[in-house]
Amino acid sequence: MSKKFRLSRRTVLRGTGALMALPLLEQMLPRNAHGAPGTVPRRLAVFYTPNGIHMQKWTPTIEGPAWELTPTLEPLAAVKNDLLVVTGLANQPAFPDGDGHHAAATGAFLSCAKVYKTEGNNLRVGISMDQVIANHMTATRATRYGSMELGIDAGRGIGNCDSGYACPYANNIAWSGPRTPVAKETNAQAAFNRLFAGGIPGETQAQIEKRRAYGKSIIDVVRDDATALKGQLGTSDLQKLDEYFTSVRELEKQVEDVSVPSMTCASGAAPIVSEDPTAKTKAMMDLIILAFQCDLTRVATFMLANARANKVYPFLGLSGAHHTYSHHQKSQSNYKALATIDKWEVTLLQYLLERMKSVIEVNGLSLLDNSMVYFSSEIGDGDSHNHVNLPIILAGRGGGALTPGRHIVYQQDPLANLYIYLMQAMGVPNVTTFGDDGTGPLPGLV
Amino acid sequence: MAGECENAPQNPGRVTLHRLNRAEYNATVRDLLGDTTQPAKDFPIDDHGYGFDNIADVLSLSPLLMEKYSTAAERLVNDAWTRGAFNSCALDPLNPAPCAHEILSNFARRAWRRPVQQEEVDKLMTFVNLASQHADPPEVGVRLALRSVLVSPHFLFRVEKNAPPGSTEPYTLDNFELASRLSYFLWSSMPDDALFAAAEAGKLSDPAEVEAQVRRMLADPKARALVENFAGQWLFTRALGTAVPDGTLYGAFNEELRAAMRTETELFFAEFISGDHKLKDLIDAPFTYVNDQLAAYYGLPLPGSPTHKRVELTGHPERSGIFGKGSLLIVTSNPDRTSPVQRGVWVLEQLLCSAPPPPPPDVENLPPPITPDMTMKERMALHRSAPACQGCHRLMDPLGLAMENFDPIGRWRLQEVSGAPVDATGDLPDGAILAGVRDMQSYLKKDPKLTNCITEHMLTYATGRGLSEADHCAVKDVADKAEARGGRLVDYILSIVSSSHFTQRGAEEEQTP
Repeated sequence: MSKKFRLSRRTVLRGTGALMALPLLEQMLPRNAHGAPGTVPRRLAVFYTPNGIHMQKWTPTIEGPAWELTPTLEPLAAVKNDLLVVTGLANQPAFPDGDGHHAAATGAFLSCAKVYKTEGNNLRVGISMDQVIANHMTATRATRYGSMELGIDAGRGIGNCDSGYACPYANNIAWSGPRTPVAKETNAQAAFNRLFAGGIPGETQAQIEKRRAYGKSIIDVVRDDATALKGQLGTSDLQKLDEYFTSVRELEKQVEDVSVPSMTCASGAAPIVSEDPTAKTKAMMDLIILAFQCDLTRVATFMLANARANKVYPFLGLSGAHHTYSHHQKSQSNYKALATIDKWEVTLLQYLLERMKSVIEVNGLSLLDNSMVYFSSEIGDGDSHNHVNLPIILAGRGGGALTPGRHIVYQQDPLANLYIYLMQAMGVPNVTTFGDDGTGPLPGLV
Repeated sequence: MAGECENAPQNPGRVTLHRLNRAEYNATVRDLLGDTTQPAKDFPIDDHGYGFDNIADVLSLSPLLMEKYSTAAERLVNDAWTRGAFNSCALDPLNPAPCAHEILSNFARRAWRRPVQQEEVDKLMTFVNLASQHADPPEVGVRLALRSVLVSPHFLFRVEKNAPPGSTEPYTLDNFELASRLSYFLWSSMPDDALFAAAEAGKLSDPAEVEAQVRRMLADPKARALVENFAGQWLFTRALGTAVPDGTLYGAFNEELRAAMRTETELFFAEFISGDHKLKDLIDAPFTYVNDQLAAYYGLPLPGSPTHKRVELTGHPERSGIFGKGSLLIVTSNPDRTSPVQRGVWVLEQLLCSAPPPPPPDVENLPPPITPDMTMKERMALHRSAPACQGCHRLMDPLGLAMENFDPIGRWRLQEVSGAPVDATGDLPDGAILAGVRDMQSYLKKDPKLTNCITEHMLTYATGRGLSEADHCAVKDVADKAEARGGRLVDYILSIVSSSHFTQRGAEEEQTP
């Protein structure tokens, strides 16, 4: 991938279906760059997988640095010393009112806030921890995109989602505000196009200035439209209009960022187009790495499937569906199927981690060394719908924020405290509480 | 409960500011610019609630989507400009204002689906000056203005003005708001010229005019949106694309059949839009649309055509109505077996609006057969033997079991995979016994909940808001009037669009949480 040649962006993006070298046009890249050596920023990636994990084959028996890989974690052998296996955290706010564990716990997955039970009216969750970080990044204008939300499940498009809990709870882990899910991108090509939008190769400074002025004038006019509209609307309408104002503000920042001074950035590849969930996931992992390397964002979340997904994975030799298996009733054949799915999920994490470890950044450390990768599910044991004893891996060194190579066991401490730690590590100031039950940073991670 | 709704006060409810969903954005752009490249295919998936993806409360707007709107607007305007969509007049470089004004006021009026004010056009005209300040020709300014129209909240949202301050009474929508309600209900798109003209003339306050417009609109090919967006979600056809039957047990299913089944259900439903059938006959209408491949699969005489032909189901009553359609039978099955529970729940939720509560945690799944030739019905009986389960399963199971002659990929069968003979009898709590799908059809058609439930789903879709207990009497009223009109789909639609739920908006209520 080191070979560089120049192509127009349009030419690059036309190519689909095959891996191709991405010409890393310097002017495509954002204003912000890695600073001087030694000041590489920390990054956080979140990997969500639905329906819990078969914990008997996941949890190491030994606590501390002497832990040994379990059958499910075995694919992570090459990055074993980059892992913190975290056992014994609980997300109590994830418990629903009555039924609806999957959706309620997915809404609470990164927010640690109890979700309001509704089929659609008056949606309410807490802000998610990735969005708290994103707000900080946006406020400090650290990166072009405050955050990036990815997934590979476009949903079935019918029916209700989970026992009286609306679909947005089941389909989104990122919430920019209590009522506003941040929709994820499920089309890798579209996500790729977005990352490299903005710059036009060969543009002069005067042309850049003009494009910025035009872009800003459009924003001014439509914001005026929205402001004028305010007086004609009621309260519930205004909540929707608020989303418009927020989005326009974000757009404005990007329009202002059209000028892109020269810098260097690693090469990447246009995503392949595939229906295979393994290939689709890897394409999304590649995008996360690309976005991190180019410092387009420092926070990325990924959903392997929506909550309660009943996906069938024939390529694993399984004819049943994931959610059905997860209600295992202690049957050996269900355990076996779950362990197979879990292990496949872990191989996807393996792909991400090994690739991050292979990317060496300007401080001489790997992207994995400079990052924190958080892998978990909304549920521990799928049959009992538990939100305690969650399956958690933290990978990477987070630029010194994590000391990996250990298995840590907690006594059902709040998951929210882990998030407080992560948010603090990402530089968010003044976070001392979070969600419904976060009381302070989780100790013992470093 | 007769009379429970007599003199009941009816609140039309309140539809929140409605962002165009992906289907609506695509269709609106198509009708506005003549562009059919479906720009929203790269937008994030819309969330859904109450069974549909056009529910205003659930449709949110994120910065990512805003970016997509902005990028799409630039490309759409460029494409349309290149195709000559805006050459109704020529921009005179020395005096561009008259033509620019014409282009922009016409476009904004159509895109925003209402008359535009002079100040609004003036604001758009400022782009022409801006371009000239940057030494660009007026064309550049007009194109910027067009882009701004497509990113404006007036385009992206369906705006319905609030009640006058202090008013707590429901109020009637103006003619343009009503025109949009009609066009987005029936077409998932903007009003066309004729509907817009009717609104402009104030004619949509006249029920006879509304009826004429509805009949005209349903005859238009754009009414196919009802098939894709309403029926596709109500009848679960949309989920067919992601169904994964077990390839070992059910390898007979393939992609051609998947496509053929989708087409079958779409054509079947479409005939209810155009034809003279009663809507209730969806349950057992004795016709379908098949090509040779699907006919052979179903065991029907071949129509002698690789494309779908309408066939009468004489001698094959099992294929009548929606339960004879592979699309529904597959999406309500597990990959490797039928699921009488899923099929029963589908009937209860989508046709009777009386869904049982979800199972308690830690319940047992369907047990494996104790003897190899144990039937599904016997396994279900074992499964629901726990007293905590019986209450709900007694309602769900018989409806699903009556469909047991259809295997998980929609084929007719007399034996289960195990070799056990199919037992397709369902015993209802009231003692009635449904012996197979035909019995279930007649049972359903007699159930008074059926018409109310169809109405509830359609009214939810028509207004884009979730209904609640408070809407019960309104739903019943719409259903009764629809049946009195003749009970066809068009009668339901006419009953809905003349209801106060559709023509009015309630004043603001307190937010719950």
